[in-house]
Order: sequence, then C-alpha cells, then structure tokens
Amino acid sequence: MASQEKATPVNVKLLLIGNSSVGKSSLLLRFSDEQWLPEDESSATIGVDFRVHKMEVKGKKVKLSIWDTAGQERFRTITSSYYRGAQGIILVYDVANRESFDALPRWYSELETYVSPSVVKIIVGNKVDKEFSRQVSYAEGQAFAKRMNSLFIEASAKTSIGVKDTFDEVVAKIIDTPELWASVGSSNKSKASRTTGTDARATSMPGTIDLNDSREDESYGGGCGC
Amino acid sequence: MPTELPYAADAEVSLSFDELDVLKRQYEKEVSQSHVTVQTKFNYAWGLVKSPIKEHQVEGVRLLQDIYRAEPTRRRECLYYLALGHYKLGNYDEARRFNSLLREKEPTNMQANSLEELIDDRVKREGYIGMALVGGAAALGTLLVAGLIRRATRK
Repeated sequence: MASQEKATPVNVKLLLIGNSSVGKSSLLLRFSDEQWLPEDESSATIGVDFRVHKMEVKGKKVKLSIWDTAGQERFRTITSSYYRGAQGIILVYDVANRESFDALPRWYSELETYVSPSVVKIIVGNKVDKEFSRQVSYAEGQAFAKRMNSLFIEASAKTSIGVKDTFDEVVAKIIDTPELWASVGSSNKSKASRTTGTDARATSMPGTIDLNDSREDESYGGGCGC
Repeated sequence: MPTELPYAADAEVSLSFDELDVLKRQYEKEVSQSHVTVQTKFNYAWGLVKSPIKEHQVEGVRLLQDIYRAEPTRRRECLYYLALGHYKLGNYDEARRFNSLLREKEPTNMQANSLEELIDDRVKREGYIGMALVGGAAALGTLLVAGLIRRATRK
C-alpha cells in the first residue's frame, strides 16, 4: 500500500451535541483518557471544550479534533459558532431520559442551519448501564436514526461499551464520504443550505442568535471581512 | 493513545469580524432600548474575550465583571471567562484568582484545571524569558567591566 498515505495524518473535525447531562463530556473522557467521573464529580461544560486525539482507521492515520459543546441552552449562541468546518456530528441522548431523546429533532434543525447535508451524523444512546430505568428502546432509537439518515449506536461512558465504536464508525464514514474532502473552505455549501434552514431557525431554541445573520443581504463574493 | 492537554479552546480561537459584529449590534441595540438582557451581554462579552485585540479583551472582562456582580446564576461561567480574559491579557495573578474561585467550587472541573496548567506554563515561560534577559544583561555587564579593567590596566 502507499506508504505516503499512511505517513501524513488526515485532520477530522467532530462536534458533540445534545441536551445537558446526557454524557457528552463523559463519552469524550472515556474515549480519550479511558476515564470516567461519577455524576457528583463531573461539572457541566462551560461553553465548549476541546480535545485532540490521534487514531488509526482503515489503515489511515487520523488526527481528530473533537469539540465538546455545552448542552445548556444559555450557551447555544456560543456553541453554534463551532459548527463551521465540522465533518462529523455526534448527537447524544440519555436512554434513561425520554426528554433528551425527544429533543433530537430540534438539534437536527440546528444542524440544517449550520452544516452541509453531507456531514456525517451519528446518534448515540448513552448510559445503557442504566438498563433498569431505560425510557427509550433500542428499536426506537434505531428507527429514528434511520429516518434521519444517520448512524446509530448505544453506548455507556461508564462501562465503556460502544464508546470506541462510536468514534471508529463516524470517522470511517467520513473517510468514505468524498464530498467532505472536496475542497477546504468551501463554506458556500453550508450557506446554500441555510436557505432551506429558515424554517429551522423559526423553531430554534430561545436565546439563539444566528451568527451568520450579518451576511444575509450580501452577495457571496462581496464581503471580504477585512 | 494520548490526548494533547492542556488546552482552552476559547483562548486561541477567535470569531470572525462578522460574527463578533452580530453580537455587538445585538448588544448595542438593546443598550439603545435601555434594556440589555444578560444573555446578550454575556454573548458579546464572550466574543470580546476571544478576540485577539487587547481593547476587546479589556472590554469583555469589564462586561463579565458586571454580569458576575449582578447575576449569581451566571457566576461559574463568568469566573471561567474572567480567568481566560485575564490570562490572555497577561494578568496572571488575576487569572489565577478567578480560576481558583471556580476550582474551589468544582475541584474536578477539567476546563478549569486545564486553564490552570496553561496559566502555570505561561508564567513559567515568561519567568525563563525574564531570567534570560536578566542573565544576558549580567553577562553583558561583566564583559563591559572586564573590558574596562583590561583597558585600564593596559595604560
């Protein structure tokens, strides 16, 4: 095989989103550091956190930059600024919390606003260790993911079940999606998708400001931003 | 496999001019209507602190201090971004002060602990640079004195 291909790592940007307390940071901590913090020791993410992680998928060296966003509504405007350039989105819910699953459609309407349709999405039903208090079945999660054209997995950051698979699967799919590698900085794609995202914005959550608003009345090539 | 720490995303990534402008205009609009929501003020302060421009960072810190005083429910994020803002401005004592208030309440907060490492690293590095400057000046002084002595003894 081509050894050159192996030598230079490809950069992949991932974003973790979902309601607060579903375990986004815990999944990341388990994946990157093989650690887990009990609920009373973990604290809600402020704004956004960031990790770089190196891995190998399909014989390719991959340098992952993972943006772990705060789930709390008051950070919504802040976190929306991190969508740009993401190739993969990890949408997390808590299988023992119905509300966090029911919130997924709203997260998808945010995605419509900020990222291009070819971006790889995976839904993660976290906390399967709480089987006794499960409120969302595997079948239901899977059916929804299928409808949203997304990958699906159940996981537990506590027991580490499904955690590595989550990242392996999303990265493998990204590598297999040529549109995501077409040209760096082709932000026009996401701009175009914004026009279809207008209804999404109307139903978006309170306190949200679309940071792209300023360009509304400008032509694509117009503003140089300097 | 290793992850690279410490890192505070908001310390190094800034918003585009347009993005910051959206937050600014929203803030100014509400100021002109003499009713500024905490959310708008916080968003703008956050954008300012992320900016690479010093005046922006100073203004951001000022707004965050306002919110910190007025809004107890927003204290933890204000502490974090106040620490971050002071860190960027080079006020390391202030940065530590705010960050340790957060760490007292949340000892396992990884973002705060990571920021603490960043502050420590920066202080250490600037300490070395300071020492190097002092050391360099001392060495230069010694050479000058030696030269003078040599010149004096030659006569």
